[in-house]
Amino acid sequence: MRRYIGWSISVVLMVALLLSTTACVTEPLPGTFVDDLGRTVNIEKMPQRIISLAPSNTEILYALGLEDKVVGVTEYCNYPEAAKAKPKIGGFTTVDIERVVSLEPDVIVAASIHQKTVIPALEEVGLTVLALAPKTLDRVLANISLVGEITGQSREATRLVTSLEERIKAITDKTKALTEAERPRVLYLTWHDPLWTVGPGTLTDDLIDKAGGKNIAYDISGHKTIDLETVIARNPQVIVVLTGHGEARDLPFYYVKDEPRLGATEAVIGGRVHQVDADIFGRATPRMVDGLEQLAKFIHPELFGEQERWH
Amino acid sequence: MALNLLKAITIPVPKATPAYPLRWRSRLYGIAGLALLLGVVIVIASAVGSTQIPISSIWGVLLSRLPFIDITPAWLPTTETIIIDIRLPRVLLAGVVGAALAVAGATYQGLFRNPLADPYLIGVAQGAALGAVVGFLLPWSVVGFALIPVLAFIGALLAVAVVYSIARVGKTLPVTTLILAGVALGAFLASITSYLMIISGDKLHGIISWLMGRFSLGNWEQVWMVMPYIVIGVVVIWLYARPLNVMQLDEEQAQQLGINVERVKLILLVAATLITAAAVCFVGTIGFVGIIVPHAVRLVWGPDHRFLLPLTTLAGASLLILADTAARTVLAPTEIPVGVITAFFGAPFFLYLLRQRKRAIF
Amino acid sequence: MFSLRVCGVTLGYGDRIVLRDIDLEVKPGEMVGIIGPNGCGKSTLIRGITRLITPRSGQIFINGQNIAKMSRGDLARVIAVVPQNPVLPELFTAFEVVLMGRTPHLSRFGYEGERDLAITQRAMEVTQTIAFAQRRVGELSGGEKQRLTIARALAQQPEVILLDEPTAHLDINHQLETLDLIRELCLEQGLVAVSATHDLNLAAQYCDRLVMLSRERIYCQGTPRQVINPDNIKQVYGAEVYVYPHPVNRLPATLIVSGRNRPDHHKLD
Repeated sequence: MRRYIGWSISVVLMVALLLSTTACVTEPLPGTFVDDLGRTVNIEKMPQRIISLAPSNTEILYALGLEDKVVGVTEYCNYPEAAKAKPKIGGFTTVDIERVVSLEPDVIVAASIHQKTVIPALEEVGLTVLALAPKTLDRVLANISLVGEITGQSREATRLVTSLEERIKAITDKTKALTEAERPRVLYLTWHDPLWTVGPGTLTDDLIDKAGGKNIAYDISGHKTIDLETVIARNPQVIVVLTGHGEARDLPFYYVKDEPRLGATEAVIGGRVHQVDADIFGRATPRMVDGLEQLAKFIHPELFGEQERWH
Repeated sequence: MALNLLKAITIPVPKATPAYPLRWRSRLYGIAGLALLLGVVIVIASAVGSTQIPISSIWGVLLSRLPFIDITPAWLPTTETIIIDIRLPRVLLAGVVGAALAVAGATYQGLFRNPLADPYLIGVAQGAALGAVVGFLLPWSVVGFALIPVLAFIGALLAVAVVYSIARVGKTLPVTTLILAGVALGAFLASITSYLMIISGDKLHGIISWLMGRFSLGNWEQVWMVMPYIVIGVVVIWLYARPLNVMQLDEEQAQQLGINVERVKLILLVAATLITAAAVCFVGTIGFVGIIVPHAVRLVWGPDHRFLLPLTTLAGASLLILADTAARTVLAPTEIPVGVITAFFGAPFFLYLLRQRKRAIF
Repeated sequence: MFSLRVCGVTLGYGDRIVLRDIDLEVKPGEMVGIIGPNGCGKSTLIRGITRLITPRSGQIFINGQNIAKMSRGDLARVIAVVPQNPVLPELFTAFEVVLMGRTPHLSRFGYEGERDLAITQRAMEVTQTIAFAQRRVGELSGGEKQRLTIARALAQQPEVILLDEPTAHLDINHQLETLDLIRELCLEQGLVAVSATHDLNLAAQYCDRLVMLSRERIYCQGTPRQVINPDNIKQVYGAEVYVYPHPVNRLPATLIVSGRNRPDHHKLD
């Protein structure tokens, strides 16, 4: 009898414990969060209907298992495949406010380009907007956690972030200690006419640094042009070219290979000109870590192995 | 005929009379001065850039290119590439384009007797822009980009051809109708271009770059390709300087003085359009040079086209070279679009000139 | 010897006919005046002779040659025109504008030489315009511009000079000077002058012959005495005037009288 009572008390306790922990996870506390644009965002209840205004945000939402709650995406949201079937609310800068409102979202996940016009317009009709604009890889991971917290997917988020951090660590462990001399000079091109590159203050620059390279556009902040003269003078050893979309995708890459004046750079001589996918490098998503791994292989094949050529 | 051409180009200087003092002299000095300035500007522009190169290397590189001079290189191969393959063609391209736009502007101002005329007045810019944007949006092969300048060139010429055929009345070409037709067609083409830009997706910033104008990838190939059109067009226009003077009277008077007005109009129109189309097809539509340089030259040296045209050619070349040099050095290693520089400095300078001489400018 | 013949010429613009069947012959050394009310076709006739408009019918002959077959340059070497309100570019100097009159005599891509400058200078001296030769046209008065245009026509060294209201903006002294000059050139050098004018008195004093246009046709032509009389003027202009012989040379002087004193005056009621 005593053993029976003891056993049932433990069961009750265990059930109570279980109930309390699941209660913690299924009902998030209403909260106030600060997003990347410094805005205060009030979440009053767990969002059931979420709209994404950027392909990167869509990827994050799907990665956290929120596909059932996503009710609107942009025309450019092409990953994962399932996202293409969701209702469209416009393009990148051309957001159809009416459409967004008609879908009755609980929260809208925006990006930095929406800052000037789209976000104020949405706020004016009383919608809740969360803006994600990470400038470093760490911030990308923090945003994944933030979205997880807001949507009650903290566990998923933590799992995802942890695995990403492990992969990142696998790379930075080897590259953190590299001296400047051991870092190859890298040129990252987004367009060729004129030459557009990225400098400090951007995600890609952060990736290059973590991958153990030295960005030759070290004195250009943000996403700007660089002149041909500087490129030749700084003699990059690795050139990474972003592919475009649609029919122009390979143009910058072919330009780099064909331009006779770049022929004397170490990168072209050594055949170290690589193409990367804009969907991976241009978006602040978990796949960015894939990009980091690719970069690491381009820049330090001796440490990370050869990356098979991507065409 | 050849003798006449020679006489046409070497301007004779008659004896001064009290009624006709030798303003010729100050104008000839002006030509010599501007030519010298252009030479200096070319050298300075080649010497300056986002990369610091010592003067001795620059001289060495340039001299070593001359035949019979043998200098063992004391400089890096990249230095030679920078000077010979990047800066020099870019500077020359800027000079040629600047000269073309300035002369075309002066010609249109003379043809239309309108101080607001610029090389883009009758649809050249809009036609070129549409051609370029279509080129951007076509499906690509590796040849791809080479098509854009061709399409821009064709677009510019086609636009003017359409405007010409709309404005023509029988055998005459009334200039007012030409301007109106040009403005109307230009607006129409611009609207199509805008729509195409909206659906261009991620090629948009490439298109915008083209529209603002840039010399970033200027190379020798581009220089050789546009030179023939521009040189021929400019020379033709220079030859018609005197008839252009007479056409500053109204058309009836010019006809009564024996000028074949319709033929002169057509020849000048074709020449000016040709040089503008060649100027913009590679580098995009750069503004301000075509309207400001002729006015500035006219303010200083007078309206006689025999001097105005050569002076404008030299001044336009120098101006655009300087503007492009500023565009690539001020915020080095990033570049400012050259059209921004021409507007930013051109407009206030022109206002300054206007204030200096407070009388009629046209 | 120079000759100008207008044979059965009809001129018009678009649908509108302005002059029909005009026959006119001018002899060397003659100064012919074209008179008539506004819109009767004086300017049109001048435009027709300089081939700015093509006759609907009829031909015009200069020195026996049909002007329709002459090149523009040839025509310009023979005919000079002084238009009524010419547009002159403001920034050019007066001298440069008169120098433009030498255009028909220069080769296609040629430039002006010493002789051209000398001719221009002389043309400006005789028209009293040399004083402002170096001033920009934009600064000149209407009368100065008119004399300038006449100087330019003279610099062209034409055989016939067509003038459209050449004295309209001039002070009376300049009117006399200009017409004296032209008359002298006609008499001494065989220049032919055809002048369209409003001023009946000047026309009478200076012209050898007058051609009066009215209602699309030549109403009458002849010497001033034959043409200017109160009946003709009443018919053509619809105005009551008095014509008396000029005290000095007996040429018809047209005198007007203000409304109250005229027999046909209607009192305002």
